[in-house]
Amino acid sequence: MPAILEVKGLKTQFIVRGGIVRAVDGIDIKVNRGETVGIVGESGSGKSMAALSILRLVPEPGKIVEGSITFDGRDVLAMNDDELRKFRGNDVSMIFQDPMSSLNPVLKVGFQIEEAMKAHDRFTPEEAKARVPLLLRRVRIPDAERRAHEYPHQFSGGMRQRAMIAMGLSNEPEVLIADEPTTALDVTVQAQILEQLRDLNRELGTAIVLITHNMAVVANICTWVVVMYAGRVVEQGPTEEIFKSPQHPYTWSLLRSIPRIDEKLGGKLLTITGLPPDLTNLPPGCKFHPRCRFTVDRCFTEEPDLISVGPQHESRCWVQMTNVPDPDSDLREAPLVPEEENAAAV
Amino acid sequence: MTTITTGLNMGPPIAPPGTPVAVDYSVAPEQVSLWQDAWRRFRRNKLSLAGMVVFSLVILMAIVSIFWTPYSLFSQGLGDITDPLSLKHPFGLDASGRDVLSFIMKGAQVAIVVGVLTAVITSMVGIAAGLLAGFFRGWVDAVVSGITYIGYGIPNLLIAFLILFITNRPSIFNVIIALSVTSWMDMARLVRGQTLALREREFVEAARATGTKNFAIMVRHVLPNALGPIIVQATFLIPAAILFEAFLSFLGFGLPSPDPSWGAMVSAGLQDRFLTYHTMIVPSLALVITLMAVNFIGDGLRDALDPRLKR
Repeated sequence: MPAILEVKGLKTQFIVRGGIVRAVDGIDIKVNRGETVGIVGESGSGKSMAALSILRLVPEPGKIVEGSITFDGRDVLAMNDDELRKFRGNDVSMIFQDPMSSLNPVLKVGFQIEEAMKAHDRFTPEEAKARVPLLLRRVRIPDAERRAHEYPHQFSGGMRQRAMIAMGLSNEPEVLIADEPTTALDVTVQAQILEQLRDLNRELGTAIVLITHNMAVVANICTWVVVMYAGRVVEQGPTEEIFKSPQHPYTWSLLRSIPRIDEKLGGKLLTITGLPPDLTNLPPGCKFHPRCRFTVDRCFTEEPDLISVGPQHESRCWVQMTNVPDPDSDLREAPLVPEEENAAAV
Repeated sequence: MTTITTGLNMGPPIAPPGTPVAVDYSVAPEQVSLWQDAWRRFRRNKLSLAGMVVFSLVILMAIVSIFWTPYSLFSQGLGDITDPLSLKHPFGLDASGRDVLSFIMKGAQVAIVVGVLTAVITSMVGIAAGLLAGFFRGWVDAVVSGITYIGYGIPNLLIAFLILFITNRPSIFNVIIALSVTSWMDMARLVRGQTLALREREFVEAARATGTKNFAIMVRHVLPNALGPIIVQATFLIPAAILFEAFLSFLGFGLPSPDPSWGAMVSAGLQDRFLTYHTMIVPSLALVITLMAVNFIGDGLRDALDPRLKR
């Protein structure tokens, strides 16, 4: 399948007083037409920065220092301001985490959606006006005609996020980047919004890049998963593959730390000890080794490459989870085994 | 009762298609726009409301004076300055025996024109400069802020005199220009500050992410959100301009005679102080009442438009 959006070796850095913050440190992401890609990682793993980099919206003093971003054969990093403006919203659109603050409080919701269309020339002003209620209805806002004439404060949180999705989709972009679209919403609304995104992906063929820290969300709607850690891709592959046999200890730990109702293990949940690494001062070797339960000597000195571990499945690890016999034995019986002993067992 | 159906062949609908869903809107909160809300708060402030009434009367007086004044401004010798106030001349006569009420009415016209035009010009210049500086930052901001600081360093009376001397012909427009040149900086600073804060807001980033043009972001997203403080500031510009014009005229640098300015009338009245006081007191009162009225309006607007003071 041809990739619509391709990111190669992207590095985004912030030069601050304490040194260089390597927010995104050489990532490769491929998004095919109509695909749903999940980018997972904890806070500070660089997933949001990766998304902002794609639209070249990196806030000051951040800079894209290396790599390439290609959309449909066009080089995004070479675009001038006007091309960039046309690219944003028209080709790739983005919705943000907090729907409370992403809508302008003094403008009517319908007007804002109309404006998003008027910024581009895909639709005439008349068409743009006519499309507003259709778009609102498509994201299941009831009584769309009336609602279009209301202000954001008259919308509930879920409705505002729906309105944002409607705005993001108004110019029929090829790719919609959703940066933690459900984090600020309560659980029932989260499910509705996700269902919404999945439906829109199916109906319109819009590729969706979903950025989240929630594995369950990814499992729900994504066909492809990219796991990020310390600005790197540590594992990527088809969702099913990743969930069935995670190869990177980080992915494995993430999955092992979520309670599952379909599993009768009866064991303890795993916690990933420690903190995400300081991006100005990354550890040598594998960036995950200070928090890893399965380290070998090599992990401390040498950083592994993304190694193919299955069809389309890649993982950045010297060990790989297939080589760890019974990784969660300690969780079932004894309390957490100290790291040294664990490493020795490998 | 309204019936809504969801679906439209878009994946699993919330309710099976065709299922009528009863929605009761009778409990929906009253729909109020931003301005209706502000007006409701403004109305609660009786002092501002009174100010609004008084200022409306002054404006009405100014408009009437365009077409009609009790006596012509040129008819002199209607009586003596020491004549007691009467129904024929409620505010008495001045030293040349002219009707003071007619002059007060014409003076209102001058005050309103100077006040409102200065506020409008100052606001437009200040808003444009502040928006550009705050939005683009960098060298644009450096230039605008630089000019602002220099402008603050120069006494506004000096600039006013300079402009009046250069043009060498006192006229209402020279006064307005002199006032505008010396008072746009406050507005520019206010708008710049608001813009700097607003440009970091998420809805501006969201607008950028949808490819909105810079100009549209400034005009549609930044400016409307800063409108509250701008309106308040502009309102306070009106009395400041009226007072400054009166001050210039009092010093004799304002409008040439026979253009009536309240300031010039106070100045002239001062000459009559050994005969009578009404020629000084009446224009002074007109000035004070008008200025207070506009200031009260400004106070009320500030309370009504600043959501942080919401009660």
